[in-house]
Amino acid sequence: MKTGKKSMTLEKKKSLTGWGFLLPATLLICWMNFYPMIQAFILSLKSGMGVNLSFSGFSNYTRILSDSTFKQCLFNTIFYLIIQVPVMLVLALALASMLNNKDLRFKGVFRTAIFLPCATSLVSYSMIFRSMFANDGLVNTILKGFGIAPVGWFANAWTARLIIVLALIWRWTGYNMVFYLAGLQNIEYSVYEAARIDGAGPVQSFFKITVPLLKPTILMTTIMSTNGTLQLFDESMNLTSGGPGKSTMSLSHYIYSTSFVQSPRFGYAAAMSIIILVMVAVLAVIQMKVGDKR
Amino acid sequence: MKRKIMAVMLVSAMTLSLTACGGKNGGGDGAGTNSEAVSTVAESVSGDKDTLKVWCWDPNFNIYAIEKAAELYSADYEGLNVEISEMPSADIETKLTTIVSSGDLSLLPDVFLMQDNSFQKYVQNYPDIFTDLTDSGIDFSQFAEAKAAYSTVDGRHMGIPFDNGAAINCMRTDILEQAGFTLDDFTDITWSDYMEKAKVIKEKTGLPILTVQAGAPDIIMMMMQSCGASLFNKDGSVNIEGNDILKQCMEIYSSMVKDGTILEVTDGDQYIASLNNGSVASTINGCWIMASVIAQENQSGNWGITNLPRLDGVADATNYSNNGGSSWVITSNCKNKDKVFDFFKNTFAGSTEFYDDIISKGALATWAPAGKSEAYAEKSEFFGGQEIYSMIVDFATKTPSNYTGPFYYDARDAVGIALSNVAQQGADPESEMKEAQSAVEFNMGN
Repeated sequence: MKTGKKSMTLEKKKSLTGWGFLLPATLLICWMNFYPMIQAFILSLKSGMGVNLSFSGFSNYTRILSDSTFKQCLFNTIFYLIIQVPVMLVLALALASMLNNKDLRFKGVFRTAIFLPCATSLVSYSMIFRSMFANDGLVNTILKGFGIAPVGWFANAWTARLIIVLALIWRWTGYNMVFYLAGLQNIEYSVYEAARIDGAGPVQSFFKITVPLLKPTILMTTIMSTNGTLQLFDESMNLTSGGPGKSTMSLSHYIYSTSFVQSPRFGYAAAMSIIILVMVAVLAVIQMKVGDKR
Repeated sequence: MKRKIMAVMLVSAMTLSLTACGGKNGGGDGAGTNSEAVSTVAESVSGDKDTLKVWCWDPNFNIYAIEKAAELYSADYEGLNVEISEMPSADIETKLTTIVSSGDLSLLPDVFLMQDNSFQKYVQNYPDIFTDLTDSGIDFSQFAEAKAAYSTVDGRHMGIPFDNGAAINCMRTDILEQAGFTLDDFTDITWSDYMEKAKVIKEKTGLPILTVQAGAPDIIMMMMQSCGASLFNKDGSVNIEGNDILKQCMEIYSSMVKDGTILEVTDGDQYIASLNNGSVASTINGCWIMASVIAQENQSGNWGITNLPRLDGVADATNYSNNGGSSWVITSNCKNKDKVFDFFKNTFAGSTEFYDDIISKGALATWAPAGKSEAYAEKSEFFGGQEIYSMIVDFATKTPSNYTGPFYYDARDAVGIALSNVAQQGADPESEMKEAQSAVEFNMGN
């Protein structure tokens, strides 16, 4: 008995405990994430309507190539990605460094106020944005007050997309700001003090100290936001219902509508979601290659 | 201290969510074993047999109706309880899709309500959900033909027709008066006449004659049905490109948007609000819209109902159409089919007493004998003393039937997009229709 105990070194014991703790989570992830993913892939190889599915090889993937709605939705989604993610992250970073100021009063109040949008439900904030930009909504009433003709925000493709981007920025900036704030806590204040003594202005210390030291956090938020935007659903569904036409519909919204609104084609929907998965993975790899130079 | 409070809150939130999950699981399992027990020992569990699980929406309308039906049935025949889960039609459809894909049909209720426009799609894609009612003893010949056609597939009756979606032209008589018109000026007219009068109303009162929800082509679909036209040919192929009737409808719509006689609003709430706050002179919709109109009680007496304008130069054009409406489905999971057949036979398909009662909610019958009852001849004060109920039943019987098919929503979607491009961006209708045609064909093809 004693020899048996001895044969297991402390190191081994520790690593065994470690694996022991990891095991439940690993099993759960395999069961609840990877298993459905494999199932989705298998489903994407079948075609047909409703429950009448049969294997058809990669026909769903070739079908995507000739789907004009898919292209439109892909364009919309990439548009949101390119405009919204950089604007939001820059804004979040700027807000975080402002709120990190030691001498700022009511810091907690400001932080809470900026983070609060994240606590609202996606559906309810979408509804509120929709009513704000309605024909006789708040924004048009204000415009009228200034003598400007009211705008049909949701009737035009570009204004509708703009509203989605605005809504996304309002909802998610605070969320990313919190990560930056956390990252900023790890930067010694003395570094800034030293820089100031050496004559660096706030702009310089932002670009020379804050940004480089926050790089891992910035990388993480970029990947998360890219991922989130590619899977955008609630805003497209609730704020604009994809309209006018399909000009604001996101890919996930299109996937939903192929499954539940149009005549159901689960195989095709699964194929499209696999495409999104690939896109997310590729973009994340690129971002990691570009951003992480350790 | 702060942190401690925070920690306690977090932990309690986690425990709560965990127990919530557990609760759900437990419930699900319970339901599963329950229905299993029923199907195996159905005879011995009489308590479950008399409870009808129903999915439907709208407490003032559908839910009221089925509860009333159960009450009347229990009084005259055997006891019957209904256990209602209220859910919007879109949720019911999503749930059905999910249940069928999971393969566990025992999760289905006994009875649910389905939008007429979705009916063909579901019967075609998920035939296993439905119970064929052709030989159930229910007399389908007594229902309005156009209505029963929605739930009839290959000559088999798959649903029990319920509420009426006959289209009405619901007008503010006081606003018409300001513009020098009466309701008669809008009765039995053509669309060209209607558009001219709409311009006069716009000029004299500044109000549009119609508000519509942007992107929702309801009005186009009503115009199409008013002459029996459809977006599909009888053989099921798409009939959008080169469909002259559709083109005429789209042109009417976009020219009315241009001269401001149709105002497009962003969502359903705003559409209802525009009716209630007097920013529009009239609306054309299924007769169920009356429930929303009546909600504004101080406008009592200022509304009137007449029929729709008809299309010019179309051979089968009528002044009557339909929008919405729903039918009851008895699922394949129903435990005591004979009793449920008997229930429907003696209520929804056989009781004037029942229809006389639910008319107080504006639920109009498509069951012909109900229209002859005295309750339908009652005058409505809100609508300026018109006999609206018998009028709408009359509209319903004159409505042409059209083919919806399993791809109805795909086609409707495509037409909605074409319409918004034509009306908002001034796109060419013919090329937009061509685009819509290929979009629907793409959805139909493999």
